[in-house]
Amino acid sequence: MLGPLGAQLERYMDLLSTRQKLVASNIANVDTPGYLTQDIDFQSEFQHALGGAPHAQPVEGLAVRNDGNNVSIDRESRLLAENALRFQAASSLLHSQIQMVRAAIKEGQGS
Amino acid sequence: MSLFSAIAVGASGMAAQRARAEVLVENLANADTTRTPEGGPYRRKDVIFETSPVAEEFSSIFASQVGGGGVAVAGVITDTSDPERRYMPGHPDADADGYVAFPRVNPAEDMVDLMGAARGYEANVAAISAVKDMIQRSIDLLR
Repeated sequence: MLGPLGAQLERYMDLLSTRQKLVASNIANVDTPGYLTQDIDFQSEFQHALGGAPHAQPVEGLAVRNDGNNVSIDRESRLLAENALRFQAASSLLHSQIQMVRAAIKEGQGS
Repeated sequence: MSLFSAIAVGASGMAAQRARAEVLVENLANADTTRTPEGGPYRRKDVIFETSPVAEEFSSIFASQVGGGGVAVAGVITDTSDPERRYMPGHPDADADGYVAFPRVNPAEDMVDLMGAARGYEANVAAISAVKDMIQRSIDLLR
């Protein structure tokens, strides 16, 4: 009903919420020995266009501490804020799409 | 719903950091305790964290594919190093040579760990509030 843009926005928001869950998980495990930062490859997952569940993978290039943990709280804070803002933008866009459909329905009902 | 399980993950982090803070406060409180039910001076305790899946009512199959679990306290370890011996002949717990066994607790170390636990707790609270905002945004789509 909302067309291809609506479907893409839905996928985008779905991926963002998945990523946000991984960020929350990374933050929760900031003191777990041996835990490695998990993330999804956002670009390639989005290119898959509506296909399947995304899969998480360890992030490379982060400094590993003595206990084998490589969670960077700075990176996770940035992603936390970034994901929330992206989600906000996507939800505003989806909202305007829904408003357009609603307007069309209301016009059809007559005044 | 992935977002609701993200809240559960954040909550597990808060619970784990709180448990860690409790153990650290116990260490600070007992920094000079020379008598315990097990006998001998108090021994420093610390928690070990492990990744654990969060309880989820729905869509557990989807969640297992994505991975990313919460955190749980795997266990509490007790310091096994020898107690610190101080020469206090008048002390009721002094041994034959006049030495009293005191806990090997370094208050500075525990204070630093306690600050780490408090920061970890705050980070989890921030994660939950960001996820909560996202859920609220989704609900607002219906308005």
